[in-house]
Amino acid sequence: MILDLHSHSIVSDDGRAKVPNYCQWIRKKDLPLDGFVLTEHRKFDFDSDYSALATEFDLTILKASEVETEYGHVLVFGVTRALTEAFDFSDIGLPLAKVLEESERHGAVAVPCHPGRTRVGMCAHVESLGIPAGVSIVEVFNGGSRGTEDDAARALAETQGYRGIGGSDAHIVSHIGRCATAFPGAIGTEAELVEALQAGEFEAKSWKSKSSESSS
Amino acid sequence: MEIEELRKQFLKLNFDTAEFRVDGDDIVGFSVACGETASRYTDASDPDFQAPPTFPARFHGRRMLPSDLPLEGKIPLDAGKAVMPQKAIRAGTKLVGKSYLNEIYEKTGRSGRMIFLVSRMELFDEAEDLACIVDSRMVVRERPAE
Repeated sequence: MILDLHSHSIVSDDGRAKVPNYCQWIRKKDLPLDGFVLTEHRKFDFDSDYSALATEFDLTILKASEVETEYGHVLVFGVTRALTEAFDFSDIGLPLAKVLEESERHGAVAVPCHPGRTRVGMCAHVESLGIPAGVSIVEVFNGGSRGTEDDAARALAETQGYRGIGGSDAHIVSHIGRCATAFPGAIGTEAELVEALQAGEFEAKSWKSKSSESSS
Repeated sequence: MEIEELRKQFLKLNFDTAEFRVDGDDIVGFSVACGETASRYTDASDPDFQAPPTFPARFHGRRMLPSDLPLEGKIPLDAGKAVMPQKAIRAGTKLVGKSYLNEIYEKTGRSGRMIFLVSRMELFDEAEDLACIVDSRMVVRERPAE
C-alpha cells in the first residue's frame, strides 16, 4: 500500500488544495497512491470527516499534524486529543525532545520532515544543537525539496541509522503524490499507520524526476 | 514582536470604518478584467446583474492595520486574500466596511520566522446585513539574526 504521508489542505493557512480535488486528481492522473495523510500546520483538524470521500474514491484519507521545533518541522502521526493537550501545537519553538517524548507516551510517532531544508530542517541545527535523542524515522523524500535537500536528508538517515519516509508536502492539488511511502500491508486508520511506522517496514518513494527513486 | 502581547492588544478591535458605493461600471470592468463571461457579472441589463464573488477584495479602508501596531519599521507584505461572500452585491448598493485584526500567528520557513496578520473587513449593506467578509493576509518577516 502506498500512502503520501505529507500533505496540506485549505485547513492549513498556506494550503490551497481542497481534499476532494486531491482525490479527483489522484484518480484522473491514475497516480500510484492508495491514499494520503493530511498533516496540517501547527494544529490537528478534529473537525473534518473525510470518510465519505474516502469511500467514494476508494482512497485512505488520514489526518496528522506538522509542528515546529528548534530542530525544524516535525510530522506527528497518531494524534489524539490528549496529545494536543500535552503541548501547544501552535508554538513554533517546541522542544523536539518534548514532541518525541509526548508522542511516544500517547502512542503517536514523531518524524522530522524535510531535514535537509534551510532553517526548518533538522540538518541545519545538528551542528549547533547536536544529534537529538529519540529520533528513529525522518522524511528522506519531500516533494517540496530543492537542489540537494533530499540528498542531505538521506545522508543524515544513513549516518544515523534512521528509517526513511516520503511525502509530497503538497499545498496545491497537482503536487500530491510526488513522494510517498510504501507499506507491505493495508492501512485504513491512523492507529494502523502508527503501527506500521513502529514496525519499521516501509520504503520511501519519489516520483519527482522521471526516473523513480526509492530508499528504504 | 511578542505574539501573545499583540493578540491581547489588537485582536478583534475595530480600527477602521469606511463606506463604499458599488458602481455598475466598476462591476463590469472588474468582471471583464477577470475573464468572467457570465452575463450576470458582465451585463448591467441582466436581471440578475451583481458583483462577482471576488469583487469586494478591491475595497480598501483608510488603514490596512491599526495605526499603533508596533511593526518596528518592518513593512508587511501581501500574503493573499480570501473572500467569503454572504449575499449578492448589486450595483448602487452602499456598503460599510468595518475592519479588525482577526488573527495573528507565527510560523517558520526557509526564510526564518514570519508573523502573519490577518485583517478582516466585514461589509454590511444598507439593510445592515453582512454582505461579504474579506480577509487580507499580511506577512512580516523577521531577519534571521533577530
